Amino acid sequence: MSVNRRRTTNAIEVNFLARWLVIVFLIGLAGLFFVYLKNQQHAVGNQSRLVEAALREEEGRDEALKAQITSMTSRGALQHRLDDGYITLQAIRDTAIARVTPPASAEVDGVLRTASRDPESRFGPGGPQRAVNR
Amino acid sequence: MKGTGERIGVVCALLVLIFTAFAWRLIHLQILKHDYYQEIAAEKHDTRQVIQARRGRILDRNGEELAVNVPVQMVYADGSHIQKPAAVAGVAAPFLEMTPEELTEKLTTKSKYLVIRKGVSEEKAQDMIRALEKANLHGLYLQEGSVRSYPNGEMLCDVLGYVDHTGHGADGIEKTCDDALTGQEGFRWIEHDRKGREIVVYRGQEQLPENGSDIRLSIDMGLQAIAEREVDAAYKTNHPASATAILADPNTGEILAMASRPNYDPNKFNQAKPEEMRNRAISDIYEPGSVFKIVVTSAAYNEGIVNDKTQIFCENGHFSYGGKIIKDHHGSGDLSIPEILMKSSNIGAAKISLRMKDQMFYDYVRKFGFGTRTGIPLPGEIPGQVIPPHRWDMLTKTRVAFGQSISVTPIQMVMAMSAIANGGKLLKPKLVMSKGEGSAELTEAPVAQVVKTESANYIANALEKVVGNQGTAPLARIEGYRVAGKTGTAQKISPHGGYLEGRYIVSFAGFFPVNKPRIMGIVIVDDAKLGETANYGGSVAGPVFAKIGEKAARHLDMDPEPTDSVSKQDSSTAAVSAR
Repeated sequence: MSVNRRRTTNAIEVNFLARWLVIVFLIGLAGLFFVYLKNQQHAVGNQSRLVEAALREEEGRDEALKAQITSMTSRGALQHRLDDGYITLQAIRDTAIARVTPPASAEVDGVLRTASRDPESRFGPGGPQRAVNR
Repeated sequence: MKGTGERIGVVCALLVLIFTAFAWRLIHLQILKHDYYQEIAAEKHDTRQVIQARRGRILDRNGEELAVNVPVQMVYADGSHIQKPAAVAGVAAPFLEMTPEELTEKLTTKSKYLVIRKGVSEEKAQDMIRALEKANLHGLYLQEGSVRSYPNGEMLCDVLGYVDHTGHGADGIEKTCDDALTGQEGFRWIEHDRKGREIVVYRGQEQLPENGSDIRLSIDMGLQAIAEREVDAAYKTNHPASATAILADPNTGEILAMASRPNYDPNKFNQAKPEEMRNRAISDIYEPGSVFKIVVTSAAYNEGIVNDKTQIFCENGHFSYGGKIIKDHHGSGDLSIPEILMKSSNIGAAKISLRMKDQMFYDYVRKFGFGTRTGIPLPGEIPGQVIPPHRWDMLTKTRVAFGQSISVTPIQMVMAMSAIANGGKLLKPKLVMSKGEGSAELTEAPVAQVVKTESANYIANALEKVVGNQGTAPLARIEGYRVAGKTGTAQKISPHGGYLEGRYIVSFAGFFPVNKPRIMGIVIVDDAKLGETANYGGSVAGPVFAKIGEKAARHLDMDPEPTDSVSKQDSSTAAVSAR
């Protein structure tokens, strides 16, 4: 009745176990990493939503301010202020203009530009009555 | 043991059946009914978010903004997100200019989309959202929008038009260029959580909006301001039914300014009266009176029927023809073509027309663009009225020759006079320079060569005498420049037939400098409240033209012409009148 006990012993196959443990661990780790990434994705998405909203808000504010500036500096608004006496037109004398290049007339280059030919603006008060003799 | 085995078998079978049923149900839900449930879920969480396209701006030729967008927010409520309406109302009401009670009443709703207030300023709307977030309250949301703003108010209103409540152009350039200005709205499919916040990770298909193109007009706001100011002054001084002025470049047909009174503020278009909203430059017809003499004289000269040696006997002011008397304001004997224009002789013009065949005269009238829309890109243009020869009576031709029995629009008259100024080319009026940044400038080819350059120049030089001392419009003269033009004084047509006694439409159409015209202008004053003796084109419309021209020349930096050439204008006139 002698029995070889060693033969009936169930040997623990460490290699096999370790392999599976590593696989399970890696799968678990991958799962956790996936969840972490998903959370990150949501967090970043949320952040980008907030940034987009802030950007839209700033753009809206910028446009509103631009529209306000346009309306306050429009020809009509300035004319009203001029009529009401809040602002005055100050002629720039020829002597106060430093020209880097000789003045070009619209006749030459076809460019429309605003210029004053008022006698006072060209010669100052008390100057010649007309810019050109007629 | 057998009994136990059977029982286990039964339990196992039951379990198998139960799990099979569950599995089947899962298959039913997940696979067979997949599309159905996905649709329900999508309805609940997916939203097609519209991304509005920005409406293009309208600019003048130098880039000055004439129509812009002001961003505003529309506040709406989602009743399914509101737990405490009173609390939400308490926080939001001050930003929405409503009482908390009023807002609470509105917020007590189950509707998922209830508009609370439109046109809330960007700043107030954002402040409201921040205040709600701080109080941890939900249910009020914003939807972006914008309102159209016209920074110059009433200025250029007839050309710009306005945008209606749907955001589309209802008049003016806003209407004719609506497609280009509107652009294409974009969209984005989004999923949102229970609180209505977007889950960015599940953002779906997205298409960015295409913003509308900016429209650059040929209008020069400097000149427009000048025209507006002078027309306004004439309107306030003479109290007419209406006053209109148009400035154009006679070489290109570009419209530089277009002003009329009465007018309206397109920012408050719903407060305007219908008569204020009509663009009189293109939709009002009137009998042009003597300005129309340019057509008969240039046509006859072009056909060789008259020449620079022709003398027409003007019957000393009374010409009986067809059983009616044609009168001149001042009786004259023999007059040359320039003298007929200078003295504005009706008899002279009528006699020239009688030398022309009916069809030939009619063809010239049509070739100058009368009876046809000019094609200016503005809504509501009318073609005017030209009676065809087969419907003429004995008098019609003689009447048309001095601007009666024909109806024209101010813009037609401008283009016809431009043809005289530019050497005989009839141009299509150009109002839109370009559509979209960096786009090529739109060009228009001349419609037709109406008369030979030589004929146009002859009439242009003759018209110069009109503003001389002996002409009908010395007050239309502009110091420093040679001006050519023609006055028109026409009795108003009665709606009941015939003419209205003592009521006139007076006009002056002219251009300068004569040798190289750069500005073409017309001023029309309808039914000025002046005595009959004072209401003439030369005394009412002429001075307005001169004031506009003087300031326009300064604005455009035009060099004054040499003194001798300007003074020649008067001496030549004197020579003519001495004959």
